[in-house]
Amino acid sequence: MDNYDKLVSVWGDVTLPVLVLEETADGYKPVCQNRAADLLCQGASLMDFIPEEIAARLTAAGSCPDTETVPFFCFLNGCAYSLVPFAWEGRRICMLHNVNEYYQENRRTLNDAIMANKAKTSFLSEMSHDIRTPMGAIIGMTDIALMQEDIPARVKECLNKIKVASGHMMSLLNEVLDMSRIESGRILLQEEDVDLADLLHEVLTVIRPQADAGKLHFSLKLGQMAEERLRGDSVRLKQICINLLSNAVKFTPAGGDVEMTVEVVPAGEPNRVFLKLKVQDNGIGMSQEFLQRIFVAFEREEKSTTNKIQGTGLGMAITKNLVELMGGTITVESRIHEGSCFFVEIPFTASPDQEERHRQALSGRRVLLFNDRREQVEQICGMLGLLGISADVADSADTAVDLINDMAFSDEEYFALLTAEKVNGVEMLLFLPQVRQRMGADFPILLLSEGDWSQMEYVYTRAGVDAFIPLPLFRTRLSAGLYAFTEEAKQLLSEDGGQRWNFRGKRILLAEDNEINREIALELLGMANLQIETVENGREAVERFAETSPDYYDMILMDIQMPVMNGLDATRAIRALDCADAQDIPIVAMTANAFVEDVKNSLDAGMNAHIAKPLDMNQVYSTLDYFLGRGGR
Amino acid sequence: MKDYQLSYIENLKQVVLLSDTVSDLGLDAEHFLSARQEKRDRIRVLVEENTVLLRKNLFPLLDDIITASAEDVAGLEEFANALMPGNQDVILAYAIHNSLIVYARHYKLRDMLIRELYNTGMTLFHLNSLIEVTDPYRYRWKMQMLFGEAAAYIKNYDEIEDPEIRGYIHRSMGNLALGYNTGNVEYGEKKMQILRRSLQTLTDPVYQQKTPSLPWETYIYKSHQERTTGLSFLRTGLASARVTREVMESAEYVWEKQQEISRRTGRPVSTRWRMTYNTAQYHCGILTLGQLLTIMEELYMQRNMSDFSDEGIYANLFLPALYAEYLSKDGLFKAAKKEVLGHMYRMMLRYARSVPPEKITIYFVRNLMNTFISFIEYPDGIMQRDFLLQLAVCRSPETFVYLQMTASVSRMILDRIADRRPELLTGVLGCASTDEVLASREKLAQLAYDCGMFHNIGQLNFAHMTTMTGRNWLKEEQELFHYHVEIGANILKRCESTKLFADAAKGHHFYYNNLRGYPADYDPREHENQAIVDIVSLAAYFTRLLDDTIDYTNPPLPLDEALQRVAERSGTRFSPSIVSLFLEMKDELEEYLKDGRLKAYEMALRYLKNEDSPL
Repeated sequence: MDNYDKLVSVWGDVTLPVLVLEETADGYKPVCQNRAADLLCQGASLMDFIPEEIAARLTAAGSCPDTETVPFFCFLNGCAYSLVPFAWEGRRICMLHNVNEYYQENRRTLNDAIMANKAKTSFLSEMSHDIRTPMGAIIGMTDIALMQEDIPARVKECLNKIKVASGHMMSLLNEVLDMSRIESGRILLQEEDVDLADLLHEVLTVIRPQADAGKLHFSLKLGQMAEERLRGDSVRLKQICINLLSNAVKFTPAGGDVEMTVEVVPAGEPNRVFLKLKVQDNGIGMSQEFLQRIFVAFEREEKSTTNKIQGTGLGMAITKNLVELMGGTITVESRIHEGSCFFVEIPFTASPDQEERHRQALSGRRVLLFNDRREQVEQICGMLGLLGISADVADSADTAVDLINDMAFSDEEYFALLTAEKVNGVEMLLFLPQVRQRMGADFPILLLSEGDWSQMEYVYTRAGVDAFIPLPLFRTRLSAGLYAFTEEAKQLLSEDGGQRWNFRGKRILLAEDNEINREIALELLGMANLQIETVENGREAVERFAETSPDYYDMILMDIQMPVMNGLDATRAIRALDCADAQDIPIVAMTANAFVEDVKNSLDAGMNAHIAKPLDMNQVYSTLDYFLGRGGR
Repeated sequence: MKDYQLSYIENLKQVVLLSDTVSDLGLDAEHFLSARQEKRDRIRVLVEENTVLLRKNLFPLLDDIITASAEDVAGLEEFANALMPGNQDVILAYAIHNSLIVYARHYKLRDMLIRELYNTGMTLFHLNSLIEVTDPYRYRWKMQMLFGEAAAYIKNYDEIEDPEIRGYIHRSMGNLALGYNTGNVEYGEKKMQILRRSLQTLTDPVYQQKTPSLPWETYIYKSHQERTTGLSFLRTGLASARVTREVMESAEYVWEKQQEISRRTGRPVSTRWRMTYNTAQYHCGILTLGQLLTIMEELYMQRNMSDFSDEGIYANLFLPALYAEYLSKDGLFKAAKKEVLGHMYRMMLRYARSVPPEKITIYFVRNLMNTFISFIEYPDGIMQRDFLLQLAVCRSPETFVYLQMTASVSRMILDRIADRRPELLTGVLGCASTDEVLASREKLAQLAYDCGMFHNIGQLNFAHMTTMTGRNWLKEEQELFHYHVEIGANILKRCESTKLFADAAKGHHFYYNNLRGYPADYDPREHENQAIVDIVSLAAYFTRLLDDTIDYTNPPLPLDEALQRVAERSGTRFSPSIVSLFLEMKDELEEYLKDGRLKAYEMALRYLKNEDSPL
């Protein structure tokens, strides 16, 4: 062993176990170890006994792990060793010291501490529970007090402060209670189906606003997703994710980045997978000293930057305990001023899903994917491929139309359009209605977006979009989204008596002078279970509205061109009425696009929106949904 | 057609005739102004009348198109078709055809749908050609969607009995190529692929036997003609061998047909097709650049300056633009042919001045724009700035007057700033300090004047819209007109004599607070002369408030009200520092306005009579 000889010639034959790594193009690799190391490992390589994580740090390219991160600790043959690497002539020399005696001594102390801690936990558990009950009363009574009329300003201010403080106290208590439950072994994990798409969507709805408030860039990345439905405790899993992310958000200053990566990889056994979470930030980071204590209950690092951040110091301890209860591991790396990165790995059993059924119904179909973000396109095409679906990709409106035209000249047809919310240079709200017209009412158009569908639904359904698939994309969501438009799914839906639009209990007033138009509107609107009353001109509309009790009508659909009184004058007259709902009743114009000033005039007259004629029922229904459903009254 | 439709078209014709300036050239400035005013008053009446006609009769019908009678629908089709010749009212034609598509879809009238898809596609083609150099995306995809849908009915060919409708299917199939006119290689390939598919169908004996009454020869010939437009791709030097070969083949095909027609009719082969053939020969390597240029010169000399047909426009406008484009490829020829090109430009200007208003079509404008885009400026030759001013004044004296007044007010504002707050001008023309600003004061004032004069030059692209739309503008026109800022900037930035004015052209509708206005990609931080853009922006707005010659719907305001409007926009649309200085200029502005307009008309008249022209 030339290397070893060289080592001996310089260092002498040291009695401590030594491992030598030499620099290569990809980092460092072990080249030799001394006799003491051979003896310790019974001839095997010392590297095989070093935990994977430490081994990765030792073999990584770059500078040698510095004094902030070493020594590493590992167990060999039942003894604790410290491992100290140092650089020497392009090599890394790793020297091991037996620290078992020190470790055992500390362990005894630790056991004593654990016993004391258990007593404390038990006390906390009881206390927390007992405090929660009166806290609930304080919060509830404060709410009631705040709802009273004519509270003096100063009292209201005090009540608001009580509300904020008691809310904060309650969340602290919840954490304490959680911790005590964990420590007293009283927490039981549920075994249920966990839909990762739903779970992450819920996590995002909590975290995004926090990140936005802190002016942070938050991103969620998906790696390999071998399975998307798992068996486990979704509430606790969500808690793990939220704790990690809230922590990252809390300790990252404005303008920073927080990123969560989620991966589900096969565990080597049938139906078994590992869920891997990585939460990384570029925030204030932690000292090496604190890193040793990060997962200890009630530990918070004392720094000027953290003192203003509220918390019990329990979040990470709860997280670690939950992860370990699930049979997983959690580790952390951090550097002061550079940020932190938490790694979680939890084993799960995969849950059976509907995917096979979807795959069978979708296999062999072709879709048009309208998206100009290469990364997303690759991911979506990959997933479509797994479902047996082929995709043509368009990154501009021109290309999309070309592909539609080319397809029209071939013997095939597109099953659906999958469209991004934004494509560079394309006004989607002009483009999508044209696709809808061209491809017909039955052609599925699905929107892929990171946004909140409830905020976009009104606009995009008017533009011809049928359904929404949230991003980041999950295969199960994609397949379910597309499957819903297969004949098989439609059949199942009709057997279930499904109805897409239902406005039962809503009443609208339709002002339309043309008899045929009235008939069409009555028939189509009636299909959505609306109660419709009609009048034939603007004056009748005003009179009818005035003579009915407040909130009798939920909405007015108003033609613009009508005899006796036109729609604009009628709207002005209604808005001028001294009725409780005259200002609020949504009035929607029905007109073809005309002069610039006409559209403005209808809004100036007090109308809320306008629907183009002839009536496109999807547009009408989505407008109704906006004003009568979640978006409006 | 219905009476209102006939009246509308008649009024349109009157508006076009009234927008003519030539008949007033013999008058002095004062009478010229009053004659123009009288004509504009008459135009205003016609515009109002037409707007009422549409409001009362057309839009209610479009509003309830589903309930329209068969007679009404037939009338609408006829009316829309009557609006197309000479592109009299393409946007209204588009609105009508588009509504007819809705009607046809609703009642599942397949034949009508195919016809209307084609017609609507054609209206979009005309609109697209107005702006495709600046924004190839606005209309192209929609046009392709319409032609594509009509063409896709080839699958239902046997179910369609009407030969005319079958004809629309074939024409739509070929017209898909119209979306790919700009010269990049990818589009070239696409265009050729579409025409290949179309020609395959047209030459298929099965289709010919199914519909023997269709003019197959004409369709095939037109397809080859369209394929020769692929020469623009060849000029990029990047076209594939296959594209090159196909363009050559079509040029040969068209040339033979043209010769055959020439033999039959005794008329010479048209300039356009001779040029196409010779250009193809040059790209084949049969002709040298020198030979091609000589042929171009010969063809140019044979043109007829009173021919305002498409052929005449090609020879008088497009040919010089093409000549300049080929000249620019070779430094030696560029130097040697300076006088020839100068002559062409002078003649082109004369031609553009004499074109009657009814001939100002989209085709004319497109060819005019080609001239600007390929304009070659020689240090001691014709300057693009003079060329543009000449065109601006001859196409619309009112536009010239508006520009001149904006220029004068811009200069007045600059003078006031230089007197009171010269630090606002640091950075302009590289002035690093107030001392440098004061030392360069005259240069800065001239720049403000010139930027005012040229800021709206992109409006030339919409000459037919601004002067001859015989009704209130529709939303589509308003949005289309927004492109004038980018078109103007693109024209100006190409030449040495005008490039300093490009920022003002692009940024004069962009808000000071960066929150509104257009174009969206304008970034004031990128322009060192932004202070001048701010001045011109304010001057242009103010001048427009006092003027109703371009926008009939907004009556001119008295000075106090105009100043009030400016004040209300301080800090949002305009720089508050400039507004506060501007509001102090009330007396000065009042003095200027006493005869400012008349003087601007005098200047316009001198230009029109060629007295002041440096060309």
